[in-house]
Amino acid sequence: MNDIIDVFFVLILATAALIITVRTLSSLFNIYSFQSLFIAVVAVVLFFQTGNIVLLLIAILTILSKALLVPYVMRRIQKNMNLKRDVEFRYLTPIGSLLVGTLMIFLVYRSFSTLLSELSYDDLFFFGAVIGLSITLMGMMVIFTRKKVITKIIGYLMMENGILLFSLFIAELPFIIEVLIVIDLVILITLATILAYGIDSTIDDFHSKLNSFTLWFKD
Amino acid sequence: MHFILYAFINTLFVILVSPLFVSLIKKVKAFTQGRQGPPIFQTYFMLNKLLSKERVYSVNSSLIMKMTPYINITCMLVASLFVPLLYVPEPVAGIGNVILFLYLMVCAKFFMALAGLDAGSTFGGMGSSREMTVSAVVEPVVIIVFAALGLLMNTSNLHEIFSSSIKSSLVFNPAAILISLSLFIILIVETSRIPVDNPETHLELTMIHEAMILEYSGSDLALMELSHSIKQTLLMAVLINVLMPFGLALEPGITSILLSSVLFILKAVILSVIIGIFEASFAKYRLFRLPSLFMLAFFFSFSTILFELLR
Repeated sequence: MNDIIDVFFVLILATAALIITVRTLSSLFNIYSFQSLFIAVVAVVLFFQTGNIVLLLIAILTILSKALLVPYVMRRIQKNMNLKRDVEFRYLTPIGSLLVGTLMIFLVYRSFSTLLSELSYDDLFFFGAVIGLSITLMGMMVIFTRKKVITKIIGYLMMENGILLFSLFIAELPFIIEVLIVIDLVILITLATILAYGIDSTIDDFHSKLNSFTLWFKD
Repeated sequence: MHFILYAFINTLFVILVSPLFVSLIKKVKAFTQGRQGPPIFQTYFMLNKLLSKERVYSVNSSLIMKMTPYINITCMLVASLFVPLLYVPEPVAGIGNVILFLYLMVCAKFFMALAGLDAGSTFGGMGSSREMTVSAVVEPVVIIVFAALGLLMNTSNLHEIFSSSIKSSLVFNPAAILISLSLFIILIVETSRIPVDNPETHLELTMIHEAMILEYSGSDLALMELSHSIKQTLLMAVLINVLMPFGLALEPGITSILLSSVLFILKAVILSVIIGIFEASFAKYRLFRLPSLFMLAFFFSFSTILFELLR
């Protein structure tokens, strides 16, 4: 059982590395969708180990919202924006981000190993927490290195995935908070859809675009 | 005595099967592009033809140009002793050392780059400069990947690495999956395949490996091509022996060798198909984007080391 979870950890790490480097938007969404799916599978395996029904609910919620709904909406936004790739980076190139990412995993591992040696956690749980937190940090890195807003959203979503993974293993979040987070995500995506008109343009362009909507409210 | 037998069988097998995978990858690529592709034994025909042709040297060329094909093939054949394809022999001093294996490959590469410069053609010089640029970036990554492999198996001897990977099934070991991803990227980079280099063109903008051997002709070219295909087979064999080692015999014997040779060809055919599809589904990267590919391999091997520390 633990081996299967380990394999999925590897796959989750690989998807995180790909989200940092990949430039084509459609494959970014696919990779994100797979990452969410892998996390859901980890939750299902944990459910079979512990029998905690909340884990199964989290898995179902994750698959429905993050593996299916969110990527679908993101693809719609992308179609509206007529944007295929995000090739602009700030502060760090993808190569630099990967290097910093490996460093971050190592730092998280170091800090956790001193922290958790006091508590008697299972190796697997320790590992899940390390990967969860590193993915959160890598998501943050995606947010500040990418220039386009739509890829920043992917970074935010990846951070959320990291928190979910972390909460699966160390600090068990109550299910209600999990649901709230997903609602948050859906609101974020809805907002992004509304802003999709202007998300690819400058503020001035956007203002004039939004002004056209105010006509609806004039009598 | 045993080792001499092993050396003979292994070398013969490597030389015999290597050209097969080169043309197989070409065939798979052709199929994905809707073409018929060359016959599956085309590389054998080509090598046969080239061996009977005369050699032409540039007036500017020196001894390096004439020596390089022999150095290359020697390095590759010696390196082939390090990677058992059929059965793992008794340990012999020095043979199987990972560092020596890597440096034999680099030695061949170094002389190839020198030969590219030697003929005095601009293409060769360009190819050599690109190859050295790429190697300078990829070499640390290769070392890290093989270090991670050594850490995973607790030894720096390739023979011992493979014999312990047979004993412990690694297919579901997460570290083995990570290391295979890195090994696959290295296989693509070192054999000059598509995101890095295009093996099919002689266009000046894309070629790296082809540019260096552009000045070669006749039997020299045949040796260069053969050593390139042997290099590919060896790297494929490392990947195969780490990820799916079943069939690799621990004791020599007629039946076990026959069985393992059939199984090796089968596994290598599957891997060649994967490589062909991989190559067909990517476009060539710009030269300055290549480090991100190497960085992925670095990232994966680093996580392998981390996985091992955690276990």
